[in-house]
Amino acid sequence: MTPSAGFTKGLFRDNPVAVTLIGLCPAAAVTGRVIDALWMSVGLIFVLVLTRLSQTILQAMLALTESASQSSPSTEARPFRWLGSLVFASCFTASFELILLAFVPDESASLGIYVPLIAVNCIVLERFAASGNREPVRNIGRDIAKSLQESGGLGVGFAISLIAISLVRETLGSGTITLFPIGSFAGTIEAGNVSLAPARALAYAGGGLLCLGYLAGAARLLGRLKGRRLEGQGGTEAERS
Amino acid sequence: MSLLGIILTFSLVDNIVLTRLLGICPCVGAPGGMRAAVGTSAATALLMSLSTLAAWVLETFVLQPLDIDFLRTPAFVLSVAGIAGFLDWVARRTVPQLLRLAGIPLAGIAFNCATVGVAIIAAKGGFNAPQSLLVGLAAGAGFFIALSLLTAIRERLEVEKVPEWLRGLPLHLISAGLLAYAFMAFDRAFLSRLFRGW
Amino acid sequence: MWTACEAGNGWELCAIMTESNRGMASPQLAVSPAPHVGGLASSLRLNWSVACCLLPAAAWGVFLFGVPALEVLAVGVGTALLAELLTGLAWGRMTVRDGSAMVTGLMVGMLMPPGVPLYVPAAASAFGIVVVKQSFGGLGRNWMNPALGGVVFALFSWSDAMSRWLPARGAAEGAAALSPLSALRNALAGGKAAHGGLLALLGANGYPWSAADGRVVTWVNGHVLSILGASLPRGAFDMLVGNIPGGVGVVSVPLLLVGAAYLLARSVIRWQVPLTYLVTFCVIAQLFGGLPMGRGWLAGGMLFQLFSGSLVLGAFFMATDPVTSPLTRWGKLIYGVCLGILTFFLRYFGAPGDGVPLAILLGNCLAPLIDRSTRPRARPSGKAAMA
Repeated sequence: MTPSAGFTKGLFRDNPVAVTLIGLCPAAAVTGRVIDALWMSVGLIFVLVLTRLSQTILQAMLALTESASQSSPSTEARPFRWLGSLVFASCFTASFELILLAFVPDESASLGIYVPLIAVNCIVLERFAASGNREPVRNIGRDIAKSLQESGGLGVGFAISLIAISLVRETLGSGTITLFPIGSFAGTIEAGNVSLAPARALAYAGGGLLCLGYLAGAARLLGRLKGRRLEGQGGTEAERS
Repeated sequence: MSLLGIILTFSLVDNIVLTRLLGICPCVGAPGGMRAAVGTSAATALLMSLSTLAAWVLETFVLQPLDIDFLRTPAFVLSVAGIAGFLDWVARRTVPQLLRLAGIPLAGIAFNCATVGVAIIAAKGGFNAPQSLLVGLAAGAGFFIALSLLTAIRERLEVEKVPEWLRGLPLHLISAGLLAYAFMAFDRAFLSRLFRGW
Repeated sequence: MWTACEAGNGWELCAIMTESNRGMASPQLAVSPAPHVGGLASSLRLNWSVACCLLPAAAWGVFLFGVPALEVLAVGVGTALLAELLTGLAWGRMTVRDGSAMVTGLMVGMLMPPGVPLYVPAAASAFGIVVVKQSFGGLGRNWMNPALGGVVFALFSWSDAMSRWLPARGAAEGAAALSPLSALRNALAGGKAAHGGLLALLGANGYPWSAADGRVVTWVNGHVLSILGASLPRGAFDMLVGNIPGGVGVVSVPLLLVGAAYLLARSVIRWQVPLTYLVTFCVIAQLFGGLPMGRGWLAGGMLFQLFSGSLVLGAFFMATDPVTSPLTRWGKLIYGVCLGILTFFLRYFGAPGDGVPLAILLGNCLAPLIDRSTRPRARPSGKAAMA
């Protein structure tokens, strides 16, 4: 596997929200505005990368002590590993909450309870991740790099999905695109004629779920089309279902 | 808020799945028929009510007096995880056959953003102890409503010939979205008019 | 619910659903012989008869409100047909000819206020066809009524446009056009009180009944009812005939009833749902409806409620949709009762407006659950309690 393959995997092929369909709650809930989606993605990347990194380092340290005492890694350590990642995740989430509150309190209010809930996001807790770090630690540096790549890829993939959904929802549902205010730019772009009579129903909860469903379907459709095209060329890419 | 008000708010008006959009993963993603749905909902409701109570205890006796509410997230997440683990342990020791028969998943499945989310909402809502417990139960009831409706719809969709690219989770999400629109009929104005009118 | 089809009971509604998708039915469904077998032709006849029965009420709306009403209907139907055409092309399955998109578009148009900006019925039809119907696999496979899904989407998206009405024919000039339900809400909120029924209350608060209504009511009071010692309040004729502000096709209850009677006579729709729905609603409304209004028990004015809003259209044409309502006999009865209760709560306590679209939508959500609970457990050869 090339070094960057771990990163790109999480972007599109294994995109957590659109393909693997985990971590859905914030994807439907905070995509009402683009800025909310952006900050939620930042938060998730922050917590995800740091949690996985801490986990890898901790695991490396445990493996070192185990190899020193010549005992084999026990499978019963798994629930405790989960608990470990939970502790890390909740602490990093609390830190992010404070950062948000300090620098962008409006955003903190707007995101509400979804910020603390990053700690229990399925992506962060890798509940359903296929890649369990069960192999014995051989090279700490390489493992750290790998976990950084994978978590970075997943996080950016999450961001891509969320921003895609929020662009649709906010443009059609509120007629605006809300971004960071920079200099003289107030931060809100009016989306032409739609802003005169936006379809507000899309900005509500149902709209989030609908957009999420269609995104997942579109991702699957793209996967199939791509698979069909590659199959036609005699490629070996397996179809994503 | 009166007790009836709490029940109606957290089960219908602010339905944890269809309005707050928490707990989507177990509602939409979990396979299994109505039995599994009932089991999941029961486990979730139990966990939610215990979590809200624990959240109230933590909020009232630890976080506020010591002025450490920046530690709310770790405290709540770990306490809910602890209660979930405890329930799991109790269930395995006492009623393992029941679990196998009824297909109730272990309490681990009930630990998701919905349970922790309800705990946070209850703590921030300024309720007292019995009210917090009721908030958890009502949220669990709302979860059950959403899950059972979605399961029935899902069972109906399974025998249909739907577009392949939408089969499965995408269509369940779309159904949940339509359900969410229908549930917007119950809003706060409805609740206030209901109590004012009578 | 598919046990009935598999059993080959010859239950014709199930057969129509499978027949219209001939060649597309999943293998485990048996296409059972039914009185009117005909595949596409049968589905088209069904939808065409429903559309014909809706046309008198729609025509009345055009007569009452003029060109805006016609535009709304045209856009509704046109968008629905276009959406079905486009999704059919994309999917490789042309179902435009089965007429169901036309019925959906017509129903969307009829539920709209006449003066509404045309993107509203367009969006409602498009949403209904694409999201609520075609995403689930097309006719027979959706669990939510497409027309209602679209209308509720429009209701939440453009709520102020959806509550702006046009005045009726011959209404007194100068007054803002309010539907009877909105006017009632205003009157109860802060208007003058009045003796008598709800119509008297509206009259006391200046509801602009038409001059024709005045003439008819006076004549009837003078020549007929004075003998009996009773009298009709002002507005009775307007309400009865449907000369009131409201949705394009929902105002004329008599014409809707005529259409519904034809459909019932031809067994296109079943009586269980509309009857239980209307009876439940009327009983609850009459008994308890007066209480939130401060008028006491048994003062709910059920006739007023019956003739306002889209209750009759909803009960006979939308709640009876075989695709989105329960299949079993008991299921239909329970469904009707649920709809009655939901409509009562949503109309009296819900957001201003008619509770009917949202109530039927919630009923659609409940229908799979009701179906599941009332599914016959008897062997296929046994006596299954199917309607």
